[in-house]
Amino acid sequence: MISQPPTQGEQASSLPYQDTKPVGAPDFYFAINATFQFIRKRLGEDGLHRYWQDLGDTYFQPVTTAWREKGLPAVARYWRDFFDAEPGAHVDVGESSDAVEVTVHTCPAIAHLRAGNREIDPNFCQHCYFVSEAMAAPAGLTIRVEGGNGSCRQNFFAPTATTEPQDLRRITSCA
Amino acid sequence: MIGCYDFCGHYEWTFAWLDRQGGLDMVRDYWKSAISDDSQLHARNLIVPEGLEGMKKYWLHTLEEEAAGYAFTSDKKHFRIDMMDCPSKGFLIKNKLNQYSDYCDHCIGWIGPVMKDAGYVVDHEHNHCGQCWWEFRKKEDSTPPSQPGDFSGDKDVRQRPDWKQPEIDVFQRATDDTSK
Repeated sequence: MISQPPTQGEQASSLPYQDTKPVGAPDFYFAINATFQFIRKRLGEDGLHRYWQDLGDTYFQPVTTAWREKGLPAVARYWRDFFDAEPGAHVDVGESSDAVEVTVHTCPAIAHLRAGNREIDPNFCQHCYFVSEAMAAPAGLTIRVEGGNGSCRQNFFAPTATTEPQDLRRITSCA
Repeated sequence: MIGCYDFCGHYEWTFAWLDRQGGLDMVRDYWKSAISDDSQLHARNLIVPEGLEGMKKYWLHTLEEEAAGYAFTSDKKHFRIDMMDCPSKGFLIKNKLNQYSDYCDHCIGWIGPVMKDAGYVVDHEHNHCGQCWWEFRKKEDSTPPSQPGDFSGDKDVRQRPDWKQPEIDVFQRATDDTSK
């Protein structure tokens, strides 16, 4: 994907933690997948959900702060910067006045895990919902994920009284 | 999504989270079961069958990918890594991330079991500031670890003026993180 250059006064990246290299090392996706599998085996599905929620609540707290202060434009900017730093990602980020839509054509994690012949955690793609919801909720936003197992659509918006909860069956298993 | 760009940040955070769930036993189980046996399968598949040659292949690939500041030294019996600028610990220091008591222990936590299965032992020191050294030799080889400069010459991290820190952790002929 191609990002817009930062405008005057904008930081070069909205990512809260900065590295010296422009993109990450893809073999780390192996460790992310192994971590999910380990936590499920030791602490069960509820433990894995708790891990994802705690990660979103605490480690990603600086992102939540930016989203709370700057709203949906900050959400769009974050995901553009995020996927720019993930090797092999093919993602479009669309922005309107009331929503941000992240269309993942090629998920870099699933692609690398498949290329490495790794057994992918069946609910790997659910982490995108649980982590992002924990990041978004304190900012007055919510996320709905549809698809998975290599490509998906993620919508961020302000919930209303009629907003349906995330149906986890709409997130495709990687089994 | 959890990404690989800031992997070392959420990896270190995960150690602290697991410590709260099940203590040090769970953290060690994680390094062994999830990282050594599963995540690092590509390292195992090189090092266990190929020994020293597999070590060179694995670390050349991974340290280049991670943009590390390092040096390798080897002969027919030993393989040594001098790490002058660990990209992983360096990321944590740069971003002021410090959730777990000793992040650096994770390396021997996963490397040690791989070396045990390959028939090697590990001499290792880390100074908690992104610098460390490793020597790998067959478990039957009783040669002690090298003295500073004797094996890797001026690449030996122990000769750097910034090597000495208040706390240097030492592992001798180790195959896990318990022998500190």
